[in-house]
Amino acid sequence: MVARLELIKELASIVPPDVLVVTSIGNNSYFWAELTDREATLFHSTLGMCTPAAFGLAMALPRRRVLALDSDGNLILNLGVLGTIANENPTNLTVLVMDNGNYLGSHKKEPGMRTASGGKLKLQEVAKGCGIVSSHVIQDVATFSTTIKSALKSDGPHFIRAQVEALDTERPPKTKHVLDPRENKYQFAKYIERTEGVQILGGGLGNFG
Amino acid sequence: MKPEKAQLVVDGLKEAGVDFTAGVPDAQFIQVYKMLEADPDIRYVGTANEAEAAGVGYGAWFGGKKPALILATSGLLVATYHLARINILHEVPLLVVIPYRGDIGDPRWMGLYKKTTEPGLNAMDIPYRVVSRSSDIVRTIKECNESARAWLRCIAVILNEEALW
Repeated sequence: MVARLELIKELASIVPPDVLVVTSIGNNSYFWAELTDREATLFHSTLGMCTPAAFGLAMALPRRRVLALDSDGNLILNLGVLGTIANENPTNLTVLVMDNGNYLGSHKKEPGMRTASGGKLKLQEVAKGCGIVSSHVIQDVATFSTTIKSALKSDGPHFIRAQVEALDTERPPKTKHVLDPRENKYQFAKYIERTEGVQILGGGLGNFG
Repeated sequence: MKPEKAQLVVDGLKEAGVDFTAGVPDAQFIQVYKMLEADPDIRYVGTANEAEAAGVGYGAWFGGKKPALILATSGLLVATYHLARINILHEVPLLVVIPYRGDIGDPRWMGLYKKTTEPGLNAMDIPYRVVSRSSDIVRTIKECNESARAWLRCIAVILNEEALW
């Protein structure tokens, strides 16, 4: 087992700035916001929405690397998305799950309640069974780093289950204003417009769409 | 459903500029789903449930797509958590196209959807139009999508049996 904070620190040091990162609500978003300063992040995807949103983004921008920074409770709500991903085969998508086996463990001083993956469910086996061939489980920083680097350089889709401690006893200091969902929407959409040459915003003048 | 009515739905999506769709096939709209899956101009992603479809559409919008969800009235219930977040919290536009199973005149045991569809859309603050004539299908889909993208809001088009049969 390893602390979520250690893995997110490592992730922040190895993910290239142009990789689009979609983060689940809670500490995945807050830690990532504290430890990075990048426009290419879509924060605050609620339960069941993180990996689907990253998948939709990957489908829309097939030449761009997309990373879902998801969590076990979040993914399990919409676990069927792994089957959808396998069939659509977005080669630019990596799904990384910070699996603490716990609901609410991420921001409490004692564990909340067990998720299915905190019991018998092995997410990496589910992903493999769904048809995602590149499916991994890691428990230490060194393997994590190697696996992420490889995934971001090779054709996917990739699935990585990172088994992390149930509680986030280590946290980064709160130093930043974390963007709210609407601020983040405009920032991220403008970043995509600028780097991909697509129009996302700007309707309402009667000549759009 | 007659193929020419399904074609009107697809024509409306094209007129609206929709290039990305997601949903779960439904008996009432199966021809629409099949046409979308075969259409080279509109990407269709079949998802495991409708909430997943909402998340996929949300992500596709950020990638520059003009997405629409094709949802049954039952599927709208499945999608509500994500749709409410997307519409009210994030304010991201998704067009939602719904065949109106359960409207008055439906002879099947589907009346529950009369109680859930329009009140559910109202609760999620999603404006909608109900289409009762097939001649209005294309224009209404186009207008609703234009408003959705201009307002950064989800908007729904509900097609009742008079329009589809």
